[in-house]
Amino acid sequence: MLAFLGFSVQRAWQGFWRNAAMSLAATATMTLMLMLLAGFWVVQAGLLAGLDFAEQKVQVVADLVDDTPQTAISDLERQLTAMPEVRTVDYVSKEEALQRFRDSRAAQGQSDLTTFLAQNPLPASLEVSLWRASDYAPVAELLRGDKNVKRVTNIADLAARITTISEFLRTGGVVLLGIVGAIVLFIIINTIRLAVLGRAEEIEVMRLVGASDAFIRWPFVFEGALVGLLGAVLTLSVLGAASDPLSRMMVDFFQILPIRVGTISRDVAVLVLGTGLGLGVLGAWVSVRTYLIR
Amino acid sequence: MTLAPFRNRRPSPPVDGAADGTAPEKGRPGAFGRRPRAAAGERRRPVLVLNNVTKTFPNGRSALKEVDLVVPEGDFVFLVGQSGAGKSTLIKLLIRDELATEGQVILDGDDLARLPRRKVPNVRRKVGIVFQDFKLLPTKTVRENIAFALEVTGTPRRAIGPAVDRVLALVGLTEQAAQYPSQLSGGEQQRTAIARALVHDPRIVIADEPTGNLDPLISWEILQLLLRINELGVTVMMATHDADVVTALRKRVVALEEGRVIRDEVGGGYHRTT
Repeated sequence: MLAFLGFSVQRAWQGFWRNAAMSLAATATMTLMLMLLAGFWVVQAGLLAGLDFAEQKVQVVADLVDDTPQTAISDLERQLTAMPEVRTVDYVSKEEALQRFRDSRAAQGQSDLTTFLAQNPLPASLEVSLWRASDYAPVAELLRGDKNVKRVTNIADLAARITTISEFLRTGGVVLLGIVGAIVLFIIINTIRLAVLGRAEEIEVMRLVGASDAFIRWPFVFEGALVGLLGAVLTLSVLGAASDPLSRMMVDFFQILPIRVGTISRDVAVLVLGTGLGLGVLGAWVSVRTYLIR
Repeated sequence: MTLAPFRNRRPSPPVDGAADGTAPEKGRPGAFGRRPRAAAGERRRPVLVLNNVTKTFPNGRSALKEVDLVVPEGDFVFLVGQSGAGKSTLIKLLIRDELATEGQVILDGDDLARLPRRKVPNVRRKVGIVFQDFKLLPTKTVRENIAFALEVTGTPRRAIGPAVDRVLALVGLTEQAAQYPSQLSGGEQQRTAIARALVHDPRIVIADEPTGNLDPLISWEILQLLLRINELGVTVMMATHDADVVTALRKRVVALEEGRVIRDEVGGGYHRTT
């Protein structure tokens, strides 16, 4: 068994270099395709992160009746927090609301009007952040039903718009990634098939002298794996070299996007290695099969 | 005359002193010539039996019709016939590249149609096959081409070297072992192919037009080599167009025409002699 493995790996290595032009062409194709796939993946991941961020910005704000007792507020907060749709609940007191108003006026460079007021006209409020904008309805309903709530901001329109956009982009992204994936699959498998085809003579001789299927198949499968692995490593090193300046640009550009670069690059590494290795092996397996079933 | 072919042969000298017709030694690779050979007149066990074999291709063309053929161990058989007579199809059946539509093909006791797929390589190792176009790998030397047949069938590394040396000596290519096929003459290339066919110590060597690409002098050289291999006890079946060779050698001749055996006689010529 060990001898067989040694034989297969050695033959795969020899095969790769004896037919170097073809092997390197296959590796180059593999690299380009994997880069395409990884590029789409990164764009898709960035897009989804952006969408999540946008959705999380959607808040249901409930203005409270003045002089609502603290216990009632805490009670309402507890109820809201218990809801699965709710991400966070923040209580904004009358004083804080006034302070925010002042800050925003100051930020716009306008004079502070509140000094003319005898009392604070702004209500205290609960700001409820949601996981998904589309899930606002039950939250809004609960708040409207509470007697201490004076008014609930109507976000139906906004939520509907965001949901539509995000669903469209999500579905579109998945479809596009699927199409790119299929193209990559076909191109890689065909490239490896070409490489195997170039060795048809050798396979025929092997068959004629009585080599078992395993002895014919495994060297090619290992060779396919080698092409896949080499392509993946090349892709990752190119991405690695490019990712620093690229992500700096991304951060500059989309300052607010909470993309965790670490997670994405780990996902991409797994994706690229897995796809490269998997397609290399699959391509070789399928290509050699044509010769075995006879 | 159409006698049972294995009678009426000239006595063959016993090889290695063993002439008792017992079961052959399970040989080392390349160790032919050690196989015991039946004495003249004794019934030898058949290496190859075709029993009422018909082959019809999916497109409806039938290449072989009700072919009966028995090749006993140690025989030298010429397979003759026009192009399209069914010679190539017959050879494909023998290495189980194709399966018979009807009838049985039995090689060394194995019914090829009933053989499970994973056993097919074992049968192919019992058949040494030689083609008109040699089918040598251009990126390998003579030695590597021959060793390849053993490597890809899982022969232990230490057994490969000696086996290759033996067949190289037999076909007279020891000097050329390190050369590539492109550096060899046609005859040398065909000898390399024959050495590769022999290195498994096959039960039968099948040569499909082995001299088709060679000039007459070289053809005789190849034929002499096949005869010598046959002398060593290996059964040989040779498909050929070469009427001179067939007529001169007076060996068993099986003639095919439109998929039928029209003649099977010992000592016959290429053409019907009557």
